[in-house]
Amino acid sequence: MSAVLLAPLGLAALAALALPLAIHLVRRLELSRTEFPALRWIAERARPRRRLRFERPWLLALRLALLALLALLLARPVLVEAPQAGGPWLFVVPGVDRAAARAAVPDLEAHARWLAPGFAPLDVPPAQPAPLASLLRELDATLPPDATLTVVVPAELAGLDGERPRLAHAVAWRVVPGRMPEAAPAPAEPVRIAVRYAPEAAASLAYLQAAVAAWNVREPGRYRLDAQPLGAPLPEDARWLAWLAPPAPEAQAWIERGGTALAIHQAGTDGEPLWRDAAGRVLARTQPVGRGRVLALPGALAPADLPLLLDADFPERLLAAFAPAAPPTHAPAESMAPRRAERAAAPASSAPASGRPLDGWLALLAALLFLAERILATRRPMEPAA
Amino acid sequence: MIAPSIPPDVRARLRRLRLHARGGIGADGLGQHASRSRGAGLEFVQYRAYEPGDEPRRIDWKLYARSDRYFVREAERDSPLAVWLLLDATASMGYRDGADAARPSKLEAACLLAACTIELALRQGDRFGVVALGGSAPLAIPAAPGARQRDRCLLELARLHAAGGWPGEDALRPLWERVAAHALVVFVSDFFDEASLRLAERLAAARREVVAVQMLAADERDFPFAGAHRFVDPESAVERRVDAAAARADFLRRFAAARADLARRFDACGIRHAGHVLDEPIDAPLQRLFGERGAPRTGAA
Repeated sequence: MSAVLLAPLGLAALAALALPLAIHLVRRLELSRTEFPALRWIAERARPRRRLRFERPWLLALRLALLALLALLLARPVLVEAPQAGGPWLFVVPGVDRAAARAAVPDLEAHARWLAPGFAPLDVPPAQPAPLASLLRELDATLPPDATLTVVVPAELAGLDGERPRLAHAVAWRVVPGRMPEAAPAPAEPVRIAVRYAPEAAASLAYLQAAVAAWNVREPGRYRLDAQPLGAPLPEDARWLAWLAPPAPEAQAWIERGGTALAIHQAGTDGEPLWRDAAGRVLARTQPVGRGRVLALPGALAPADLPLLLDADFPERLLAAFAPAAPPTHAPAESMAPRRAERAAAPASSAPASGRPLDGWLALLAALLFLAERILATRRPMEPAA
Repeated sequence: MIAPSIPPDVRARLRRLRLHARGGIGADGLGQHASRSRGAGLEFVQYRAYEPGDEPRRIDWKLYARSDRYFVREAERDSPLAVWLLLDATASMGYRDGADAARPSKLEAACLLAACTIELALRQGDRFGVVALGGSAPLAIPAAPGARQRDRCLLELARLHAAGGWPGEDALRPLWERVAAHALVVFVSDFFDEASLRLAERLAAARREVVAVQMLAADERDFPFAGAHRFVDPESAVERRVDAAAARADFLRRFAAARADLARRFDACGIRHAGHVLDEPIDAPLQRLFGERGAPRTGAA
């Protein structure tokens, strides 16, 4: 556990420390006035020495501490839970066969931790499963550069994100039998498909209705078609849109907000080819627009322009176009052994941002200090009167 | 300021003291001061015209019956010794020791010393008067004997406040007119002002019997200050910024040298002198000046 400053420039506020120092110094130069008739026998040369002495040092110390604390607050300190430095590090991915792991690594029980959020020791059950690749990168960023890392993994991994991990640390990748537990798949949420059609494109509706009906055979009730003539407002909760009309600004705006839309008469689009016919000609392209995506058809949604429409696998193709398949998250462990990568330029700077902020405690301490400072500063003048 | 009242123990010690001039009284041809003041009513000397302030019982009523005028017999009661109390009431005499607020200021101590001296003079039947130099109001009480004169003097002294600087020559002229030769002048001052010292020297040179009492504060003797101070002269408003602890040794040395120099100058013109520090008993300078040890020669005079 160590304290890290998120905004070290805030420490520049420490320059304000000069303020109370100056105040207490200036007061030092005030002389007490004494009427003294025998003045002429006092030598002029015994000038008062301007020693660097501060009046009321306790008050000064309080004020300095208060200002230093405020400067520290500006620097946003956080407490990060970093594993202790040095030594070999042993992590076990949840799901390994404990007996097999013990056979592979002798001193497993003593030092190992779960490769799970929190990095708890082995004797407590691991936390919720989290993406494995993300945990590996976190470890790589927070461990000291000289740490040696041993990871015991089950033969079948889950929670991957498509890329083989690239880590700066050398990792000993021990594969033992087992299978990673998996987060329960999220329940499929219903999808609303909005269709806005111009009158001349009304004939295309049937194909879309047929495709949606085909989807609903496999996932009953999930896909709902909302077909309305042009001019009806676009529903906000729709995820997909079929715009069977000439391009219009409202459709463009809807797509840029993050929707996926099928659009016709988009011959000029130069996106990635989506569908091709047997001869290799491009039948449809897909192109990102703003935060959304357009599936652009050069012609109308009609068999004359798109013979594919009559194929049996058109619903599947359309679904794949609207919802691209997720990258595979499962892989055999041997194929996912991390590769060695050069350490990034600023490896640890952004990682501890998830630390525990200390602002609340520091603010409380500053308030207490301020209270004490006020008490000390105002109590003093009352003393001579008492 | 209330009228200076003499503490009982001081009053008891005063009983052993006697004011005396050092010499020159015999030149009047009226005999020794000592014998005259003791034997009241021995011999008639002269008639004098009545002056306002004379006690009615001193009027010679038989002579009044004959001449229809008031005359005062001066024979038996008058002493040839006139005691003048010359008080310095300039601002510097208002100094008060910082250590103890109950301790009197220099001027208060001077007034108390004057009261003691007046008490002595009254007991001996001598005439006495008071002149204050500087101060809040000019004060000059002509010399006269008697308890009424004492009360008047004490009352006036009680009104005196330290203020101002040393007066000019014009203010000193009444002094020369009133203080006759051979009078005993008790000059109480701090003698920090060169002019006050010159006045004492001139009085002594003009055959006045000058007795000087220098009033000193305990702070001036000990210099107990510490830290940085801004010392201000109450009369001239000159100020000096010094570190008191560093200046102490030098001040004490120079102040002692100044006092020694003052004593040398007093001795040079035959002025009896004594110093009085505010934390001493008030009769100490009188004991030194008029006590048995202080004036061993008077018996022979």
